[in-house]
Amino acid sequence: MTPSAADTVLEVSGLSFGYPNGRQALDNVRFTLRRGEILGIVGPSGAGKSTLLLHLNGLLPLRPEPTRAATNGAAVHVAGLSVGAANLAEVRRRVGFLFQDPDDQLFCPTVRDDVAFGPLNLGLPRAEVERRITASLGAVGLEGFESRSTLQLSLGERKRVCLAGVLACQPLILALDEPFSNLDPRARRTLVDVLRRFEGSQIIATHELDVVVELCNRVIVLDEGAIRADGPPASVLADEALMERHGLEVPLRLQLSRKPTP
Amino acid sequence: MNESTARPRPPRSLCHRLPPAVVLLLSVSAIALGMFLPPAHWPSHGALLCVLFAALGLARVPFAVVAGRLAIFLGFALLFAISVPLSQGFRGGFEIAQGILFRGTESFLAGLWLISVVPFERLLATLRRLGVPAILIAILAFMYRFLFVLWNELDTMRAARRARTFDRGGLAFRWRNAAQMIGMLLIRSLGRSERVYGAMCARGWDGTLRTLDE
Amino acid sequence: MHVQDGYLSPEVCAATGLVAAAAVGYSIYKLRDDVSDRVVPLTGMTAAMIFAGQMVNFPIGLPVSGHLIGGVLAGMILGPWAGCLAVTMVLVVQRFLFSDGGLFSLGANILHMAVIGSIGGYAIVSIVRRFFKRPNVGAIVGSVVASWVTVVAASALFCLEFRLSHLAASFEFRNIFAMMVAIHSLIGVGEALITAAIVSYVLAQRPDLILGQTSTTGETAMAGVGRVTVAGIVVALCIGAFLAPFKSNFDDGLEHVSKVQGFSELAHSAWAFFTDYDAIPLFGGQWQGLSVSVAGVVGTLSVLLLALAFGRAVSPRSKAVEAGRE
Repeated sequence: MTPSAADTVLEVSGLSFGYPNGRQALDNVRFTLRRGEILGIVGPSGAGKSTLLLHLNGLLPLRPEPTRAATNGAAVHVAGLSVGAANLAEVRRRVGFLFQDPDDQLFCPTVRDDVAFGPLNLGLPRAEVERRITASLGAVGLEGFESRSTLQLSLGERKRVCLAGVLACQPLILALDEPFSNLDPRARRTLVDVLRRFEGSQIIATHELDVVVELCNRVIVLDEGAIRADGPPASVLADEALMERHGLEVPLRLQLSRKPTP
Repeated sequence: MNESTARPRPPRSLCHRLPPAVVLLLSVSAIALGMFLPPAHWPSHGALLCVLFAALGLARVPFAVVAGRLAIFLGFALLFAISVPLSQGFRGGFEIAQGILFRGTESFLAGLWLISVVPFERLLATLRRLGVPAILIAILAFMYRFLFVLWNELDTMRAARRARTFDRGGLAFRWRNAAQMIGMLLIRSLGRSERVYGAMCARGWDGTLRTLDE
Repeated sequence: MHVQDGYLSPEVCAATGLVAAAAVGYSIYKLRDDVSDRVVPLTGMTAAMIFAGQMVNFPIGLPVSGHLIGGVLAGMILGPWAGCLAVTMVLVVQRFLFSDGGLFSLGANILHMAVIGSIGGYAIVSIVRRFFKRPNVGAIVGSVVASWVTVVAASALFCLEFRLSHLAASFEFRNIFAMMVAIHSLIGVGEALITAAIVSYVLAQRPDLILGQTSTTGETAMAGVGRVTVAGIVVALCIGAFLAPFKSNFDDGLEHVSKVQGFSELAHSAWAFFTDYDAIPLFGGQWQGLSVSVAGVVGTLSVLLLALAFGRAVSPRSKAVEAGRE
């Protein structure tokens, strides 16, 4: 069953990207994302997960390093809009990006100022900005944190403030790069619950395969820049041979739910 | 070293209820007063110092904090102050030395009071409202945000080095190590600023400074 | 060295404050022309890095230790204008967060470290680099020369500020000037060593960070004339530091300024003491003048030797780095 055009929020077709030293980071990647879908991207370190995500909102390939990259800027379409230099602002409004390290993303001294950053750049009136700050902090479970100093938050809280800052821009798609890394179980649970409540589409690059099984309705295995598998987590991640081939392991959840062989 | 060790965080007091602009004005006025009093006039300077200590007490800054920081400050101030009459063979320059000690101490105490009462972010907002150029405020806010991150990175690097140095090395070795640490910090932090810049662009940054006014 | 409130008179503080504000304002103006929206994160992060770097101890076997000042380093990484802002931000944070350095003397501190240090340092490095074929060697030698010269020049400026601040009829300024200049000659050597070591480490890994200034922003960060003028002023101050204790044109100029400010009796008595070499036993007479000259000669020689040594130390590597960059 092919998804209808109206249903597709993201279309990546034939995306390739090479670094200046010749290393091929992405190799003819193609997939689509439907409205409301939560897509997990898994793979060994260096597979190209972050590189792929950075193409979705135009942060790549527009780095200043000159490259002979075989990248096609028109290979990514967000809700019908082709990602390219001409419409970066609109693309970035539609795709909310969460970086792996909150210290790379959170740069204002107070929570309120940092969450306000996106909406202010969108040119929204002050009353609307305030409303969005309150709403997004509420969505991540940090009500009342407006006047807190970003310097004194725990890692989990900082990640959630970053997410609030992204949610305040009301994106169509959330692109998350290793959102669960270094979180303690409670913080991870909180984040999973927050993501589950998000109404748009999501694309999550992560090592946490158990979370992928729980949260995602589709998963892509990426290895050496190419897609090796694309399907429901329950079947893709349970394929032992596939997992082993690409430096992964069948998540515990699926191992336990497998029927014991007689 | 983190933000709360750098800035004294006394419990809320009378002083905390004053508007930040007023606190700033009082602090600056105290320093200015000290500058215009005759440099070696003990009674007036003594009175001003008492007022400043009282203000610090009113703001509930722990005595230990004041004493500790004052001691460090005085250590360096005394060095320079003493060198003035020293250069005269102790036959003069005492007035200048006293001026240095009095005015310097008043400035130090007034500054300590200001930062104990007004959080740095509110101070920045106040300075912004007073007309300091937006770009300076933005750079200051950014710098403040990452200051302690980088400081801690440096501490971690230092600890990691110490764990593998085994007491080796004379001055040259230590200098090279110290310079390498700073060099590494430089490279890493400039890399980080690239990533933060990317994150800022991802949320629509185009170089125009916009803030929510207080 | 941070100037505290109390070293200088209110009038001098006001004057230096105005000049510093003008310099900072000009730097902001120059950056507005710059297309880059990277200025805020780059300058802010570099300022934070320099602040943190200033905390690193460089032991000298005494209870006091050496520290990075960072003016020249900031100028090399960010260029003159953003470098000036970065150092200014460091001074502001030091004052407001740690009460380190005076409030009214911020102007003087900015002049010493941000204006002379970064803008002057950048100018000197740019000029020195032109004499070297290999950019790495040029950068290192430039950093050595710029660090020493800017530290001594800043101390000379401070001596001038101090002289104009204090109206002591029977005060022998030249003794304290001699001490200041001698001490700062040593501090300058330290700064030269530290900066050069950092620069050579960074050059080995990320030469674009240090050498980038003349290529990314082009030679237009500071026009050739501007560069020479600024460097010239800084060098003149530096030379002035060593001539200060002696009866020279410096004194004539100072006397003129003093008269303009109404300190004529000070100038008169100063003349009397400048001609009287037997005034003070401790730092008396020709010994004092001689000691300052010795400091100057030793300092200059050290700078040259250091520059050559570092240049040679880095040159084998620089070949490899350049080969890698081709």
